[in-house]
Amino acid sequence: MTSEAGSAVARPSRWRREWLLPLVLSVAASSWLLAVEGRQGIGRDESQYFRAGERYWGWIESVWNNLRDGHVGRSFSRAAVDGAWDDNHEHPPLMKIMFGVSWRLFHTCDCMSAKRGLHPIPITGRHVTLPIFRRESSAFRLPAILLAGLGVALVYWLARRVLRPIPSAIAAVLSVAEPHYFFHAQISCFDVPITVMAVLVALAYWKSLRSPRWGVLCGLFWGLALATKHNAWLFPIFLLAHYLWMRRGDFRRLRPPRIPLAFVSMATLGPIVLLVLWPWLWHSPVNRARGWVLRHTEHEHYNFEYLGRNWNLPPTDPGLKLLRATFPFVSTIFTLPVTTMVLAVAGTVVFARRRRRREEAGGVLVEEAATTAKVSWTRPGADVDRAPGAFLAIHIAGPLLMVALPSTPIFGGVKHFLPAMPFLCVVAGAGAAWLIELVSGLFLSVRLRRVLPVAMAGLLCAPAVAETQRSHPDGLGHYNLLAGGFAGGASIGMNRQFWGYSVLPMLPWMVAHRPPSNRIYWHDVMHDALVMYSRDGRLPLGIGDVGVGEQVVEQSDLGIVILEKHFTVYEGLAWEAYGTTRPSKVYTHEGVPFVVAYERRKTPLPPPLPPPLPASETIEP
Amino acid sequence: MFPAVLIDRDFLRRRRISVVAAAVVVLLALVETVNAVVAPYRAPSDEDWVAAAAKVRAGFRPGDLIVAAPAWADPVMRLQLGDLIPVPVAGRMDVARFGRIWEIAQRGARAQETAGARVAASSRHGALTLKLWEKQAATVTFDFLAEWRKASMSVVSADGGESPCALARDSFQCANGAVVKPALLEVDTTLRNALGGEPREHATLAIEYARVPLGRELAVAAGLHNVWLRKSGDGKVRLRVLVAGRELGAVEATSSSGWTLRRLDTAALAGKTADVRFEITVDKAHARHLAFAAEARNP
Repeated sequence: MTSEAGSAVARPSRWRREWLLPLVLSVAASSWLLAVEGRQGIGRDESQYFRAGERYWGWIESVWNNLRDGHVGRSFSRAAVDGAWDDNHEHPPLMKIMFGVSWRLFHTCDCMSAKRGLHPIPITGRHVTLPIFRRESSAFRLPAILLAGLGVALVYWLARRVLRPIPSAIAAVLSVAEPHYFFHAQISCFDVPITVMAVLVALAYWKSLRSPRWGVLCGLFWGLALATKHNAWLFPIFLLAHYLWMRRGDFRRLRPPRIPLAFVSMATLGPIVLLVLWPWLWHSPVNRARGWVLRHTEHEHYNFEYLGRNWNLPPTDPGLKLLRATFPFVSTIFTLPVTTMVLAVAGTVVFARRRRRREEAGGVLVEEAATTAKVSWTRPGADVDRAPGAFLAIHIAGPLLMVALPSTPIFGGVKHFLPAMPFLCVVAGAGAAWLIELVSGLFLSVRLRRVLPVAMAGLLCAPAVAETQRSHPDGLGHYNLLAGGFAGGASIGMNRQFWGYSVLPMLPWMVAHRPPSNRIYWHDVMHDALVMYSRDGRLPLGIGDVGVGEQVVEQSDLGIVILEKHFTVYEGLAWEAYGTTRPSKVYTHEGVPFVVAYERRKTPLPPPLPPPLPASETIEP
Repeated sequence: MFPAVLIDRDFLRRRRISVVAAAVVVLLALVETVNAVVAPYRAPSDEDWVAAAAKVRAGFRPGDLIVAAPAWADPVMRLQLGDLIPVPVAGRMDVARFGRIWEIAQRGARAQETAGARVAASSRHGALTLKLWEKQAATVTFDFLAEWRKASMSVVSADGGESPCALARDSFQCANGAVVKPALLEVDTTLRNALGGEPREHATLAIEYARVPLGRELAVAAGLHNVWLRKSGDGKVRLRVLVAGRELGAVEATSSSGWTLRRLDTAALAGKTADVRFEITVDKAHARHLAFAAEARNP
C-alpha cells in the first residue's frame, strides 16, 4: 500500500485528476445515455412517474400562481396537496419532482395543439421553454440521465479513496457499462438514482470518519436518498455494520464506540429532508410514513422468471427456498460483463491481501494521508484503519443478501440489488489496478510502461462497453458471455423483460396496420405509456385502446402480447380471439422474441364476380 | 527478439503465475469484446427462417407437428408457419399421436418433443437446422376432449345424491353452478386444449363416457389453469379415472404440479369398449380451475 500524499511530482495536476477526469467521464456517460434513450420504450412504472411528475409540477406552479395572487395558503390546504401528491404516493417524490421540472423547462411545447387534452394537468397556454428535446419523454428523462452521469463521477471519487486515477476511471466506466444498469439509467425511474444516492451517502460517510463537514452532509444526502426510494432504509444498516467492524478494537477494550456525527446527522436531518421534500406527508406525517413503510415491507410478489420457473410467491419448499436464494448471485454472474466480474474477483484478492502488503512498496492500493486530528465523535475514524475492504464488501453483500431472502420479492430482477454494483465496480477497479501494475512491471520499455495503463484501461472497459451497446434497447433481456447472450439467457430460463417497454420498435408497424375499427389491444403497455407515445408523436392521436384484462382481447382486431412467462394466458386469448396461432409481427433481439402482434383474420373475400355479360347478352328488364 | 528486448524476464520468472492469470484476463477481455460485436450476426436471420419454412411447407403432410428448439423461438417459428399449426395442435396434450415432427433448431438445441424419434432428414438454413424426426405414432381410439359432447355430466353431493348437469351449446352446466367446457387453458405457463372447470367443495363432478373404444393405454393429463389463480389458491384437485366402474388411477393437481401426464395401462381391455368416468374433487375450491385431457390409444 502506498501513500499519495506529497507524490504529485510528474503527475497530472490535482485539478485534472480529481475534477476534470470525473467530469469528462460523467459528461461522456450522460451523453451516451442521451444519445440512445430515444430507442428505449416507456415502461409501466416510468409512464406513471411521467404523469406524477407533471402533476407535482402542476402543484409547484399553483404555489407560484397563488403566491402571485396573494393567497398562497390555498396551495397548502390538504385538498390541494393531496390533489397533486396523492398520485403515485407509494414512492417518495424527489425524482418525480425533478422529472416534472425538467419536462417543464426543456420540452418543445406544442401543448396548445390537439395534444392538450393528453396532459394530466390543465394546460392554460403555450409553455415558454428551452426546447432542447423534441420528445417530451426525453425532457422527463434528463434528470435521471444526469444523475447517472453524476453516479459515474461519484464512483470515481469513491474509488479514488483507495485507487489511483486510471483504475478509478476504469471502475467508473464499468459502473455504467453494465447492460441492466444501463437500461435503468436512461429512464425516468428510481433504481439508478437510488444507486447513485447509495454511493453519495457511502462516500459522505467514508469522508465523515475524518471530517465533521461530511458528517453533516451525510445526513442531508441520506435525506435525499430517502426522498428517492425506499432502498435508502437499508443504508444505515450497512454503514453501522462497517462502523462496528472498523471500531471492533473498542469492543476488545470493553469500551463502546462513539456514536459518530454521521449517524446523528442521518437520524435528524434525514427525516427532516424527507418531510420537507414530500408534501404528501405534511398533513399526516406519521400515518402516511407508516403506510409508505408497510406498502413496501408487505409488497406483493409479482411474477418473475428465474431458471425456467415463474416465481410469484415466497417459496415454502426447502429445495425451492434454496434455489430462490441463489437468485441475486446467479443473476449477477449471468448479467455482469464477465471481464468486470473477473476483475472484481481479482480486486477481492487485492483487498484480502491488503493488510499483508501494507508495508510493501509499490502496492496496488493507495491510502489517503493520515489525519493528525484527534479522534472524536466528529472524526470517529481518525485513529483506526477505516477497513475499505469491509466497507466495500458490506455494500456489495448487503443488497444481494437482502434479495437472497426468500421472502423478498424479486420481480425487478437485477434492479432490486443494483445499489451493490458501483461498489463491486470499485473492487473491479482494484483488480484492474493489480493487472495494470503487473503488466507494467513486465515490460522494460519506459515509453511502453507509460502508455500501458491507458491502453489497459481501454482493453478492460471494451467488453463492458461493447456488451452494453449490444444490449440496447433490451438490456433487461441481456445475459453475458457465460450465459450465452440473449439466446443463452432465454434458454436458461432467465427473465427477458418486464414493464411492457419493448413495444416501441413495433409502433410503426402497429400504426401502419391499425384496423378500421381502431380496436387495439395493448396488453401490458399502460394507457399512460400510450399517451406519452402520442405526445412524443410516435402514435397518432386517438389510437385505439380497448383496455386491460382478459375479457377485452376478443373485442380487439389488432393486439400485442408481451412475451413474459406468466403472460402465456394472453397469447392463448389472442389465438382464440383472432382464430390463428400465427402472429403477424414478432419483435426480436438477436433472434429472441420479445413482443408478438396478432391481427384478426380478415373476412375471406367474396368469390369473384362473374365477368360482365357481353352487351349482346344484356338482359333487358 | 521482441520479448527479450521488451520483457523483464526476471519479473516474468518471479511472478509467472500472476502473469498467466493476467494473460487470461486480457484474453478474456478480447474474446468478450469480439463476441459482443459478432454474436448479434450469428442469430438466425429472417432469410434463414423463410428458407427453413419453405422446406417445411414443401414436405408437410396433414398430421405433422412443427416445433422450434429452443422452445422460446416458437413465436418466431409460428410467424412463418403458424397457419400449419392450428390451435388444437399448438395446445396438444402430448406428442404421442404425431409420427412426423419438423424441428427448426438453432444453437444445437433439441426439442423435447422429439425424444425417442429418429432423424429422417436434415438440412441447414443459415443459422437454423431443419430436421424431420419420425417415430411410431400412437393410434388414438378415443379423444375424450374432442368427443366431450358424447359425455354426460353430473354432480354427486356429499350424501351420494347425483344430479345431472345440462349439456349447453359449449359446456356442461350444473345446478350447483359448476361449468365444465372445452377451452384453451394455460397450465404451467403452457397453453393446453382441455376440458376445464372449477371444482366444488363437498361435491364430486363426474364426467362419464359410455362405451369408449379402448386401446392399450389411457393417457390422462391434468393441471391447474391460470397463473393468478394458482398464485391465489392452495387447494389440491384430484381427478380419478374409473374404467368399467374400477379406479384405474388418479392425477392430483396443485399450484406447483404443472401439467401431469399419466399413462394408465388398459392393455387388458384393448379392442373392447367400456364406460370411462372422470371424477373431480377438491379440498379447497378457492381459485382452483382444473384443466384435463385424455386419450384412449395404442402407443
